[in-house]
Amino acid sequence: MPRNRNDILQGTLLLLVLKTLDSRGAMHGYAITSHIQDVSADMLRVEEGSLYPALHRMEQDGWLRAAWGTTEKNRQARFYTITALGRKQLAHEEASWARLTEGVRRVLRYA
Amino acid sequence: MSLLRRLANLLRSNRHARDLDREMTFHLHERADDLVAHGMSREAADQEARRRFGNYASQKESTRDADIFVWLDTLVDDIRYAARTLRNAPGFTLVAILSLALGIGANTAIFSLINAVVLRSLPVKHPEQIVQIVMADSNPTFTNPIWEQIRDHQTVFDGVFAYSAKQYNMAPSGETRPAAVHMVSGDYFRTLGVQPIVGRMLTMSDDQRGCPAIGVLSYAFWQTEFGGKQDVLGKTVSLNTFPVQIVGVVQDGFVGLDVGQAAQIFMPLCSVAILRGSFASLDARSTWWITIMARSKPGESVEHMTAGLSTIAKGVFQSTVPEHWRQELKERYAKNGLMVREAATGLSDLRRKYGKALYMLLGIVSLVLLIACANVANLLLARAAVRQREMAIRIAIGAARARVVRQLLTESLLLSLSGAAIGLLFAQWGSRLLVRFLSSSGSQIFLDLALDRTVLAFTVAVAIVTGVIFGMTPAWRAARVPPNAALKANGRGIIEGHGRFALGKILVASQIAISLALVVAAGLLISTFRNVSTLDAGFKPADVLLVSMQRTGVPPSKAEAMNASDEILARVRAIPGVASASLSSVTPLGGTSWNEEMLIDGYSPATEDDGVAYFNTTTNDYFNTLRTPILTGRDFNASDRIGAPRVALVNETMARKFYKTPNAVGKTFRYRVGARASDPVEIIGVVKDSKYQTLREKTLPTAFMAIAQDSDRIGVNMELRVPSGASTAATQVRAAIAAVDPRMSTTMTSFETQVASSLTRERLLATLSGFFGGLAILLSMIGLYGVLSYNVARRRSEIGVRMALGAGQRRIASMVLGEVGGVIVTGFAVGIVLSSLSTKLIATFLFGLEATDRATLAGSMAILVFVALLAAYLPARRASRVDPIEALREE
Repeated sequence: MPRNRNDILQGTLLLLVLKTLDSRGAMHGYAITSHIQDVSADMLRVEEGSLYPALHRMEQDGWLRAAWGTTEKNRQARFYTITALGRKQLAHEEASWARLTEGVRRVLRYA
Repeated sequence: MSLLRRLANLLRSNRHARDLDREMTFHLHERADDLVAHGMSREAADQEARRRFGNYASQKESTRDADIFVWLDTLVDDIRYAARTLRNAPGFTLVAILSLALGIGANTAIFSLINAVVLRSLPVKHPEQIVQIVMADSNPTFTNPIWEQIRDHQTVFDGVFAYSAKQYNMAPSGETRPAAVHMVSGDYFRTLGVQPIVGRMLTMSDDQRGCPAIGVLSYAFWQTEFGGKQDVLGKTVSLNTFPVQIVGVVQDGFVGLDVGQAAQIFMPLCSVAILRGSFASLDARSTWWITIMARSKPGESVEHMTAGLSTIAKGVFQSTVPEHWRQELKERYAKNGLMVREAATGLSDLRRKYGKALYMLLGIVSLVLLIACANVANLLLARAAVRQREMAIRIAIGAARARVVRQLLTESLLLSLSGAAIGLLFAQWGSRLLVRFLSSSGSQIFLDLALDRTVLAFTVAVAIVTGVIFGMTPAWRAARVPPNAALKANGRGIIEGHGRFALGKILVASQIAISLALVVAAGLLISTFRNVSTLDAGFKPADVLLVSMQRTGVPPSKAEAMNASDEILARVRAIPGVASASLSSVTPLGGTSWNEEMLIDGYSPATEDDGVAYFNTTTNDYFNTLRTPILTGRDFNASDRIGAPRVALVNETMARKFYKTPNAVGKTFRYRVGARASDPVEIIGVVKDSKYQTLREKTLPTAFMAIAQDSDRIGVNMELRVPSGASTAATQVRAAIAAVDPRMSTTMTSFETQVASSLTRERLLATLSGFFGGLAILLSMIGLYGVLSYNVARRRSEIGVRMALGAGQRRIASMVLGEVGGVIVTGFAVGIVLSSLSTKLIATFLFGLEATDRATLAGSMAILVFVALLAAYLPARRASRVDPIEALREE
């Protein structure tokens, strides 16, 4: 089955989540999904089911901190913030993403 | 994911799972709200939200992948599957579990004894702080004056206390009923932190000179003697005919500080004055009977405390010098020092006597367990061959190899843990049997063998290690099977290829190697026991009854005591069936010894010990009764009494040592009495050498003086030769004693029992090493038989071909036997090295032969060869009876 082009490339989900939280502060999962979708002008769509496991793993790895809070609509949601360790990881992920795209760009141009 | 992380997850998994659920629900609500805002119906929106989220349930699963539940789940699956597989092979399972149960049970039994004797801490508050004070020369007992000095002057410890284990007689007359009484100092219970469950404990105010006789009972004694009733307070127990008032009962589990010897009654030290009258040693400066213990201040080191004690040691010893000692000894005494030793696990003669032997037995049983492991491994290998298709299919349809290994290891662990569970039952029974073995009629051994955490942990650890040892190789091999190969090879396959048989042979060869070491050790220990028990002890114990007599109550006057025992002897000699009877102060191997420093003209001892001889006093007929021949001279007679010149018989060793002649009749000796010399004693006869304290000792120079010339006779022993059997005369002997003095209390044992109980350790080692050696042989032979018959079955068609080509039955049989030969030679080569190492460890237990005894080695090898051939007989016969036509048709 051909993958839906909108699906986020495996491995980039972490980068996007970290980047989102780094620029926007504390957010819950749904807001993260919407934010990525909005900012990418609907070009990227987070596979919702895999977002939460990813968030929890990142929390376990110490990149994120989570706490329960209340949304504007007065619903209970878990809010995530990025940690210092997460910022370090973000820098690392950004660098490797840059390398990857540069590599791909070169291949597309010169191959 | 690492196990640690999984465990961490397990701890928070509940919350984790709840968080996830709530988060996902929130997400679905938000998405649905958005969709509704975009004009979708509520129902359709919910559906669409769920669809976008993906399969909710499966998502939950994969999210929890981080979770230990999955891991536990598959573990439970593994265990369930393992249990099912094992149930489907009941024969295999039974054999494997039983042999493991035997091996693990034996290990647990020995270990629980080691735990009780050597390892377990005292049941008191902060046992690690309990220390013992000993003399600088390691002598562990003190005089009461020294104790009082230390008690009053030490500042090193949080508390000091003293005790002395005694046996007093509870029976007012007749057969002795010994009670284990610990005489304890006033601070004993307070310092140990031991509480009463009824009444009160003894305190400082109870331990004052001139105190009344009061006592605190042990829990067990309270239960057996007073039925555990609360109204025990104020009641009395009779000890040496004196009423002792009961003031309390100690909490359950505390039985004093001597491991192996349970105290039944605790009394203040001072009350020894009542129980022992003029024999009490409260002021005696050369009677060493008190053990001193202390509770250290927290964190204090043993070295530091020893240093602290040295500041008071000088004062302690200078103020307690025994006045009647000669100058030189007094000076040495005053220079004595004090030392501190750890005592968190209590004190124990048992530990000194059996500690090493128990560790040696643990070594032996762990080797037996190793042999059992090899057998189970072999069984598993054979099963792996049968199950190879199962494994190949599992791998082919995508099971990870690690998963297959894990599955097989789970089976192994299930086997070993089941074995351990049954082994624990064996151990409970076995360790009690061992304790009964160690207890002799004279000294009942009390050990708390209840399963505790240490023993359980040991057993579980052994089970797991065992399971991994025997399960690893088969599991690893099974998982290595390439799936297609196994599926292709229909029938015979990869696991049971050449490798499998080689491995089986290696296992059997190592079993034979270990068995050889065990059988050699057993042979040496059995020979030791035989050597000790058949050596010429210088007396003949059969048909001899020993009666120990002790006057209870107020000690009689010396004259009364002498008359009473003479009268008893006369009456006993008149009993029909008593061939001869005598009195003595010491009986051979009876546990008491008496020695003196000899003063003999013409003999100057090289060391102090060199000038010592052992003593006994006897009536006439003593040597006749024990069947120790008088070599020259005469026995005592009626003229040897008080007032007449003192006379003695000596043994050959004494004659040769001090007089350089086997015929010392007519010579004299003196011995030191305090600072003076005794009256001269004339030697009237020389007797054959006989053993005094132990059968293993080098014969000691011994002098037998006339009991009629010795006036101290509170306790005396009687020996009777009763050819019709020692027990037949017992009733009449008791009656005769009671007729003369109803307050005489008696203990009877046969001389044979006394000799046997002096050999407890030797018998224990010989019996158990023999038993385990036999078990080792049996297990190895089962292993050999299994490998051979498996191999014969596997090679049926090959054998058929050989026979079709003209090989005779004899040829085929010798082919099988040749394999056995290879295994045995390999096993022996390793086994000889192994046993030369292991016998070094048991050298100290041996008697009358060397650890390198060649005959034992040769004998052990012969036994193993013989049994190996026995094990090979059936498979060889089966091989030689293969019908070539049938075998080939099957192909």
